[in-house]
Amino acid sequence: METLKSLSNYSRTRPETLVDLHKKGVKIIGYTGRFVPEELIYAAGAVPYLICRGGDPEAVDAVLPYMLRFMSPYARQQIGYHLLGLDPLVPVMDLIVAQCTDCHMSRLADLFEHFKLPTLKLGVPPDWKKVFSYDYYFKGLMRLKKNLEKLTGNEITHEKLKESIKSLNKIRGLLRSIDQLRRKKPVIGGYNFIQLNHFSFNCDPSTFIQEAESLFEELKKNGHRSEDAPRILLAGHVVAMGDYVVPRIIEECKGAVASEFLDEGMRFYQWNVKLEGDLMKNLARTYYYDRIPPSIFQPAWHERLAHLEKKTKDYNIDEVVWYQLSFEEVYNMESSVVSKRMKEINMPFLKLESSYDYSREATAPLRTRIESSIESIRAKRR
Amino acid sequence: MIEIKEDEAYRKYLQLANFEKDEIPGYLPEWRKASKKLGLTLADMKFATEHWIPENFEVELEGVRKMLRAYTLEVLDLVKANEYKKKGVKIVYGILPASLVFYYALKLEAPDKVYVSFPDAFLTHLLASFFHKVVPFLEEAEQHGIPYGGRHCGLNKMRYAARRSGLIPSPDVSWIWGFVCDEGPKTDEFIREYCDPEWNTVITRIPHDQPYGTREDEIDERVEYLAKQMEDGFKTVQRTIGVEVQEDTINKIIDRRTNYAKKLGKLYKLMTSDPQPLSGNDSVYPADPLMLAYNTFIDTMEDALDTLTDEIEHRVKKREGILPEGAPKLMGFIIPVCNPWLVKMFEKNDVGFPYYEGMVPSEKEMTLPRFKDAYMGAAETWLKWGHGVNIGYKAEVTLEKLQTYEIDGMVFGFMDFDRWLGSDHRLLCKIVEKESDVPTFYIEADAWEDRDYSPEALRTRIDTISEIVKMRKKRK
Repeated sequence: METLKSLSNYSRTRPETLVDLHKKGVKIIGYTGRFVPEELIYAAGAVPYLICRGGDPEAVDAVLPYMLRFMSPYARQQIGYHLLGLDPLVPVMDLIVAQCTDCHMSRLADLFEHFKLPTLKLGVPPDWKKVFSYDYYFKGLMRLKKNLEKLTGNEITHEKLKESIKSLNKIRGLLRSIDQLRRKKPVIGGYNFIQLNHFSFNCDPSTFIQEAESLFEELKKNGHRSEDAPRILLAGHVVAMGDYVVPRIIEECKGAVASEFLDEGMRFYQWNVKLEGDLMKNLARTYYYDRIPPSIFQPAWHERLAHLEKKTKDYNIDEVVWYQLSFEEVYNMESSVVSKRMKEINMPFLKLESSYDYSREATAPLRTRIESSIESIRAKRR
Repeated sequence: MIEIKEDEAYRKYLQLANFEKDEIPGYLPEWRKASKKLGLTLADMKFATEHWIPENFEVELEGVRKMLRAYTLEVLDLVKANEYKKKGVKIVYGILPASLVFYYALKLEAPDKVYVSFPDAFLTHLLASFFHKVVPFLEEAEQHGIPYGGRHCGLNKMRYAARRSGLIPSPDVSWIWGFVCDEGPKTDEFIREYCDPEWNTVITRIPHDQPYGTREDEIDERVEYLAKQMEDGFKTVQRTIGVEVQEDTINKIIDRRTNYAKKLGKLYKLMTSDPQPLSGNDSVYPADPLMLAYNTFIDTMEDALDTLTDEIEHRVKKREGILPEGAPKLMGFIIPVCNPWLVKMFEKNDVGFPYYEGMVPSEKEMTLPRFKDAYMGAAETWLKWGHGVNIGYKAEVTLEKLQTYEIDGMVFGFMDFDRWLGSDHRLLCKIVEKESDVPTFYIEADAWEDRDYSPEALRTRIDTISEIVKMRKKRK
């Protein structure tokens, strides 16, 4: 798939490109998490960059002098490269919008502040069923809008915002279409599909749209994966950029990641932002209310289970693989709830946990577990 | 005959807990029954009365024994919660930390209709502090859905295990506060989804999104949001259990709380004396009614506090203490009283550990709120508390206390299970040390249990800290 290679190259050189843009006066806005609408950043004439890295234990450990050992490796890694002096982009960011959803991400925001990086915290109340919680988030978005306007000197007009929403809706639509293709047969592996999602954050929208359209056509014609591969639903918190070991091993073991149920690092392409009426309210509504609630929201697990169960049917899933990171206490508890339910509906369930230590010693048992679980699905089929 | 012999051990515990001779026969069967439910055996009773309690708490002091009595009475009451529920009493739970005014107001408004408790905290404190036997409950949780490796909070595991084992009933409302950690409220969701569909929760939360150093109590918008959260939570609780609390009741509770806090302040002031007159272990529980909602109300603990204060006042007058004069004093982010050997280990090194940062009030905490409205006042009070705010403000509050109480060293840690309250300690060490000449230390440990941090594992660190503060004190 040439398109993926081209996107991969584009994505790999993105930091350099952004540093150059920054030198030319373009504002670079880093952000964490799924509640910061890129639409606003584009509409302000700035360039967003999703800080969502994973898979490197050294970057995780770099945070130890400042943070509790038992924090999420994912949260820790987001500032780890900066502390190691290996991050070209974070030091030049004009603003980091740090989503404060849970303790891990909120502490990450504290560290950004501590290291004097220009930080704006975006509070996301987890008790999402209350009207005043929504209002709180909405006010946070209005504050973000104001900050972006001040920083860039550009007013975010209705028209500019509409254009950027349209463009991102188009991206979501393309990912949705590709996802629809794999619903029927595994035309693209999960590893590639997750990467594609990551590329969609790392490319400028017009480039991505062009490439994704061509990929969609290519897949329609030449979807090439084996149709009898056990179909896996990869669920959990996040497969971050660079943390591809688990989906890769699943596919090396001849399983097919047919769908994902992840809280971060993916585009929520099922939900477009409406273009009619008050666009700020539309953004808030889509980002806060409409999409599947993250695990940290409360109450959420009942609703999440229903979504997950529906996905297993819609995508004809053979096994749910739950992938979580060490010391993520909320996901750890949710995994038990999911495991119990999967047992009730007779759906095989495999829980994997990582601290991004992918040494040979650590990967071998991981591979064995994945291999044997896929093999047992095959055996059942026989 | 065997039973009579066994009775002796249980009787001895009640004696130690200051139960009067003539009331012991009445309480004995109740205590035996409760002990069985708590998994406390005859051997545990002997171990506690002959070793653990006398070695870690100064039971020669009547105030300390009365404190033990208050605790025992509360837990005796807690194991009857199932019976209360059957009689139609409304069960309301809470978790640490919470704004207690509302729980006490419910109790004061309808004493016979409402049962209030923070069951996990009471059970953990009693079993860990006085019997060193909290682990069976934790393991019950770990084997059934809250895996050990996730480094979960002992209190949350206890709440779940207590419900799972039937020790406590489903609440009519579990009013859960997520002002600090996520795990507390999410454990309630876990219990409901995994084990008990009747576990009904009301959540009250606030995002951790204030810029570094913001004095959150001075930001009206912040106070208003929190007040709205509290009001919404309290009204939902009242609606659910069918009890309407009058504003006058809330005011009465605020007065009572203020009065109690003043009395506690007197004890803490005495603790500043040299030589240190009382162990940190013995000063923690009298502060409990400001942290936990007692269904038996606060009178028994208040009596313990009064007695203890009198005894300590007497000691101070006679210049008596538990450590030599001039011994350095440390302030802990908390006093890990569920592992009471920790404080004792410092004391054996002639280093005092008398202060619990979260309970020692800052100057601002001792002032009345700006707002007259009960919810705004409660919200403002909360946002003055160092443990409830952003790290910059928290550091500012800690620095003030270190100066006020002339502390020789600050010990962070003991909160390895808490992704909020415990996650910034390493950073706080750096900030506090940079802004003051007080040395800071970090001890990774778990305040609720000691499976992973045994005395052997921590001895070297504690000995080293002790040597450092002693040398520094000498140099002064």
